[in-house]
Amino acid sequence: MAHGLNVYKVDGSLGFSTADVTWQTIAQFTVAANATVANTYSEIAGMTVIAQRQLVNVPPAAQEDYVPNAVISNNSQTVTVSPQSGLSSSQCIIHVLAQDT
Amino acid sequence: MAYGFEAKNDYGNIIINDTIENLHFIGKATRGSADSAYGDIPNYSGSNDTLDGRVVHTYTITCSGTPVAFIKPNDYSRWHSVIKQSVSGTTWTFEVMISGTSTSNPPDVYCFVNADDIPSSSETHGMQVFKSDGTTKTFDSRKQPLAITGGGTASAPPSDPTNSSGTPGTTSGHPWNYATNDHDFRSSNRYTEHSNSAANTSDAMFSCPSLAQACYKRQMHGFHQSCICYIFGWCACGYQDHWSTASWWVMYRNAFRLRSGKFDAGWTGYAAGYAFSSAYESGGWFGGGGGSYSSGTMPYTAKTINLQSNAYILADSSRYD
Repeated sequence: MAHGLNVYKVDGSLGFSTADVTWQTIAQFTVAANATVANTYSEIAGMTVIAQRQLVNVPPAAQEDYVPNAVISNNSQTVTVSPQSGLSSSQCIIHVLAQDT
Repeated sequence: MAYGFEAKNDYGNIIINDTIENLHFIGKATRGSADSAYGDIPNYSGSNDTLDGRVVHTYTITCSGTPVAFIKPNDYSRWHSVIKQSVSGTTWTFEVMISGTSTSNPPDVYCFVNADDIPSSSETHGMQVFKSDGTTKTFDSRKQPLAITGGGTASAPPSDPTNSSGTPGTTSGHPWNYATNDHDFRSSNRYTEHSNSAANTSDAMFSCPSLAQACYKRQMHGFHQSCICYIFGWCACGYQDHWSTASWWVMYRNAFRLRSGKFDAGWTGYAAGYAFSSAYESGGWFGGGGGSYSSGTMPYTAKTINLQSNAYILADSSRYD
């Protein structure tokens, strides 16, 4: 690597290298059932942003549980989480990742 | 930035600074019970009885913050997914479903939390990076920061999870007590694939929660009408009707598979059932009657829900062993 940072483990093997990294964690937050939340992160303006959704405390098979939508907007700075149209949504963890392309 | 530390890679991409909250390895979750089932449709034998099967392994880990779970398959030919994540206090539980019925080769679950949520370290050397508030940690070289080696948006799996063409439905006009399933409920060829150079079948692990789920049923109505009595070849006493209904159903969850250079989003059957009922009306000297049988109940009416794309991320598990 010409630039960046390597971190080595006690045994001398490579534990972390900026050369390997493709996506960065920007934030993680939990959205309550049926809630709408919009969070803005100015530091990721213009980056490629994705949001991972994980339902919480939802039984796997007992009922219909709907995941909320997650929309990226505002030059990739804002992540808006809201229920699907006409449906209730379950509690959900949002994991925001960005790629500085 | 006016102060602090910033690390970029060869491409000029920012990897570490005072705003990006890098995840750090907190440990492998502890594996507990395993539930194996649905290699075939319960209490049914006949055509199209075979299903893909599934095993649900339960894992727990105790930590501050919200862990991001990565699945490291130990059998890369099988489909995997986190189908439930729950928390009680600071103990997190993950239910991980894998296709097939063998409880051998369970996956490992690697968990990562924000730098600020990792336990303090007694190591005296290394590097920490804090936010501008001076207290919130974004990076700690002593605690195995997560390097996300690949990822992107995994498109939803096909809306029809079944191998047979088209989703199953209800038909009438079958013989009375007819109960031969004509729909292949397996999902082995129902997936979308995504090319990614970080995907491999040696050390790669992934994080991609299961969102989509589906439930489908094949139902057959049978009917037969018999003459109660004949006199000189004529049906003289009226007719007696006979009805039957046979139904087979499977519930599916979105699951994922790693191949060399590919990340697949598909399906695995989570639950299944079979029901049969037969009845006939009273007539003449014959009283009405019948019987029914059911193994389980569909959790909801036939449909596919949460058919949405989701972010997936890949990493190299060997860095954290």
